[in-house]
Amino acid sequence: MDENSSARLKRRLTGIVYRIGLFLAMLTICLPGLWIVLSSLRPTVEIMAKPPVWIPQEISFDAYVAMFSGIGKGGIPVIEYFRNSLIISVTSTIIAVAIGMAGGYAFARYRFRGKSSVFLGLMLTRTVPGIALSLPLFFLYVRLGIIDTHFGLILAYVALNVPFTIWLIDGFFRQVPKDLAEAAQIDGCTRWQAFWQVEFPLAGPGIASAAIFAFLTCWNEFALASQLTRSVSAKTLPVGLLDYTAEFTIDWRGMCALAVVMIIPALTLTYIVQKHLVGGLTSGAVKG
Amino acid sequence: MKGFKPSPPFLLLLPAVIVLAAVVVVPLLLSLYSSFTPFRLTRPETFFVFIGFRNYLSILSNTDFWWAFGRTVLLLTIALNLEMLLGLGLAMLVEKATRGQRILRTLMMFPMMFSPILVGFQFKFMFNDNIGLVNNALQSLGLTQDAIPWLIESHLAFIAISIAEIWSSTAIFAILILAGLLAMPKEPIEAARVDGCTPWQTFRYVTWPFVMPFAYIAMTIRSLDVARAYDIVKIMTDGGPAGRTELLWTLVARTAYSDGRMGMANAMAYFSILLSIAFTVYFFNKLAAARTQIGAEW
Repeated sequence: MDENSSARLKRRLTGIVYRIGLFLAMLTICLPGLWIVLSSLRPTVEIMAKPPVWIPQEISFDAYVAMFSGIGKGGIPVIEYFRNSLIISVTSTIIAVAIGMAGGYAFARYRFRGKSSVFLGLMLTRTVPGIALSLPLFFLYVRLGIIDTHFGLILAYVALNVPFTIWLIDGFFRQVPKDLAEAAQIDGCTRWQAFWQVEFPLAGPGIASAAIFAFLTCWNEFALASQLTRSVSAKTLPVGLLDYTAEFTIDWRGMCALAVVMIIPALTLTYIVQKHLVGGLTSGAVKG
Repeated sequence: MKGFKPSPPFLLLLPAVIVLAAVVVVPLLLSLYSSFTPFRLTRPETFFVFIGFRNYLSILSNTDFWWAFGRTVLLLTIALNLEMLLGLGLAMLVEKATRGQRILRTLMMFPMMFSPILVGFQFKFMFNDNIGLVNNALQSLGLTQDAIPWLIESHLAFIAISIAEIWSSTAIFAILILAGLLAMPKEPIEAARVDGCTPWQTFRYVTWPFVMPFAYIAMTIRSLDVARAYDIVKIMTDGGPAGRTELLWTLVARTAYSDGRMGMANAMAYFSILLSIAFTVYFFNKLAAARTQIGAEW
């Protein structure tokens, strides 16, 4: 009887410890983000207050209003940056996914000589650190006259994304049974038709995730963008964030507000793809 | 459909190869060439002066460079190991949860959505010695009276950067290891328990070998962009105080764009490229090995 109750106590204790651990872990993960959101809504006086004000006294959207009301009112050209980011990210995503689909299909469906070394070779191009790549690109772009243009950045981002989209899309095509396309071909489809009517729809959600992942990479990229763009006509949001830092002071509230604006699309999109993303990356982890 | 046709995989891979050759390989060859010249942005004619290995030789005797190199390796070692451990812990915590697993999983991915530059700003804000959350909390709790100079003292700055780095990338490990845990068949664990294994033994000899390939996938993905740390460091300390948190990548950027010494910067960049490639190849091989091991056992 005694042993029973002590075992029960022990189990309850582990349960409590487990809950506390989980709670602390989640708190650590979420707190920085929540703090940014909160700071973007508070007046600067409160952010700067000493001793700190923990409970916000007033909540206002002034930072957001100021941000979108243009350069004249002490804001930064967020709308232009947003537009640049959007144009560059969407275009390069579309191209990277198209190329990635071709490449991923090749890896998933064909056997050819040196397959794994080609795969590794493609991946290795991705390992080149952005800043190291930016040196020759900067030089070349100046020569070609495509520095500080959408086109230049799109080109760089396509190359940045292709290896990873190939990896992901390869994984998704592998999950589609080969027999389906073969059955369609027996029924009279060409390989091309079999691809578009059978395999593509089945791998569709996965490809969409790859697209979103590529989009986010472009959306968040900083090292290349900071060197290859100079002016309002091509700067993206991550680079624009630097506009809030002056020589010695930083407009923390404005920056937090811009951070929130940047994170919202990323948040929504990641939420949509989370399930597929993991599936694509890990397919073949267990069955090579 | 008849006559000579190049093989389909060749055609399918062609666009990828062309793009990567144009944007990555050719520029890299160019930068390899310019690493053998004293090229300066301000003096274009120096691009055609060939000086052999002089840039590399002067790097070898450059203590700043070796400090940055050592610091980069140290940061990566600390960060990757801790990310792995914390990711494993987090994944196991979430896997145990009976309710609300979907929400927990979403929360867990939260840091993945932050671009590295945002992570940098966010932690710069939190570690600010005057108005930062960390110091405010420590002072309000009465743990310390002084403002701790997180980003100003060199060791503390390194710690702050590591924390930012770990915060942002643990999620990748956690999510992939969790996928492994969820995909794992339950029978072997039960069998191990029936056979009298302790929980530790069950973990060590049953769960871990199964999850390992997933951890290596995470490692490979991480090693594909270890240079994310550039954004974080650039924002948080910009290599300061007095170059004490300078990493390889910030040093390359400074040499190239602030000092304008492109030739030298390209030579340094090659070290950082080789470092990244070494990481990736290493984990890629580990991944392949882990896969075959699993294939044999299950």
